[in-house]
Amino acid sequence: MNRLLTYLFRMVLAAILAFITLPLVVVVAASFSPTSAVTFRPSEWTLQWYAALWDSRWLDPFLLSVELALIVSLASGLLGVLGAYSVAYAKCRGHTAIMAFLLSPMSVPQIVKGVAIVLFLSSVGLYHLLGTPGLIMAHIILTLPYVVRMAATAMFGFDKRLESAARILGASATQRIRYVLLPLIRSGLFSGMTFAFIISFNNIPLSVFLVRPGQTTLPITVINHLEYSLDPVLAAVNVASLLFILGAIILFEKIGGFSAQFHGGSK
Amino acid sequence: MAVIAFSTPKEPIHTGLPIKGFLPLTAPSIVLMLFFAIPMGMMIGISFQSQTAGGPTFASYSRFFSNDLVLAGLTRTVVMSGLVAISVTVLAYPLAYYLARSTSRWRTIIFALAIAPELAGVVLRTYGWLIILEDRGFINSALMWTGMISEPLPLSKNLFGVVVGLTHVILPFGVLSLLTSLQGINPNLEKSAQILGASRLDVIRHIILPLSVPGIVSSLLIGFTMAASAYATPALLGGAGFKVMATMVYEQVLFYLDWPFAAVMANVLLILMLTAGFVGSRLESRLHQKLHL
Repeated sequence: MNRLLTYLFRMVLAAILAFITLPLVVVVAASFSPTSAVTFRPSEWTLQWYAALWDSRWLDPFLLSVELALIVSLASGLLGVLGAYSVAYAKCRGHTAIMAFLLSPMSVPQIVKGVAIVLFLSSVGLYHLLGTPGLIMAHIILTLPYVVRMAATAMFGFDKRLESAARILGASATQRIRYVLLPLIRSGLFSGMTFAFIISFNNIPLSVFLVRPGQTTLPITVINHLEYSLDPVLAAVNVASLLFILGAIILFEKIGGFSAQFHGGSK
Repeated sequence: MAVIAFSTPKEPIHTGLPIKGFLPLTAPSIVLMLFFAIPMGMMIGISFQSQTAGGPTFASYSRFFSNDLVLAGLTRTVVMSGLVAISVTVLAYPLAYYLARSTSRWRTIIFALAIAPELAGVVLRTYGWLIILEDRGFINSALMWTGMISEPLPLSKNLFGVVVGLTHVILPFGVLSLLTSLQGINPNLEKSAQILGASRLDVIRHIILPLSVPGIVSSLLIGFTMAASAYATPALLGGAGFKVMATMVYEQVLFYLDWPFAAVMANVLLILMLTAGFVGSRLESRLHQKLHL
């Protein structure tokens, strides 16, 4: 009976894992398929769709997405450290309320935040901020809570005696921040910034309100095409942007230790 | 050297901080106020305006609740989100249980497989499901080739397609919230029950399931709220006929430019989420009492 249950459980697990991986495998297969009709048994393989990516139709949205993701991860990293510092490290008065304020955008759905930002920009006459500046601001609102939370977690576990020790040994305020605080929260901060990068690069629900015609991010360009056709070039775009994200994560990992967060934080 | 070693700090050591508390808060606070708090307040304010009347009015709200098409969209959103919440939790549970208990070397690989699709983004995964579920897609062409069906099954451009796609997108979040809860259950409880003669099924029914109620509730909640506010998957897998709140909000803002009505829709969506959260926490405490925890 128990052995039967074990086998049954393994089969269920395998089925769920197949469900998880199937769409990704299908897209990768489609990106090498020669016909525009995506069949379940492509007869031969081609790289023509990847060659077609070198076109301003795909390159411009890609560059806009990269620019956004870089600016957003840097800015929310900087703002997040400042916020987390006051809440978790300096523990200024009312720090729990301030933390709740800094995390509050998380509890509002993206689509609602998008409406609010568009209404705000248009009713105060800042309609021209739609496009890149608006996108940057909206993405920062979206990613800031993640960075604050991760940086704060790293700072809560911070041993204050290290700070005192540095102080007794004569380190100045800037030296203490540079050589004691920042190195100790580095992995938490970089994890937050990596998340910010991925979230911004892949974002649809917020960006959809703020992009301008002719100047859209990569996911929005893809979704606009997908509504009309299942062109295999879209599979190639998707696979290429997934590879880009993986590359970015490996790079962040080399600089800041992204995965260290999952093995017990900065310790 | 001796001078440095014996010099006393000018301020007390335990309060010594490089920068005082409130100063660094200014920048993040200004950004959050300007681009989150004020816009949210304005959006709620605008929802009480109307394109015709002057003063504050409930006109847009009564228009919302008297419009059959909009109400159908709201019902569709609730039904879809409920189904997604259930299917996410049902699929995530075995995975999370395996990850919480396994010590084999497969654990890391399976964990990566469960979480990694999140990196691919929503568009890629929805595109994958479009290819699989379409009329001439993977499943239908395979079934027609084997001769099992002569007409393609309606797998996309409807509720079924959207629920499948959203379940896939939200599954990793369900796994993570169940995993935290299942890891908190002491494995010795299961062992002692088995020593005392309980079968595997007894252990699952009387120990693991009741103790993981908080995880189940949070997985249901995450599934519901994420599905209710999802935009891309319903828009692509649901087709033009399957309108949910998120796609309707988008239409109001970008095509009809009816801002009071868009604000009402966004507020209703927000209230729906808050209600789901409230019901979830009530449900959890009720279940706790019932199970004598």
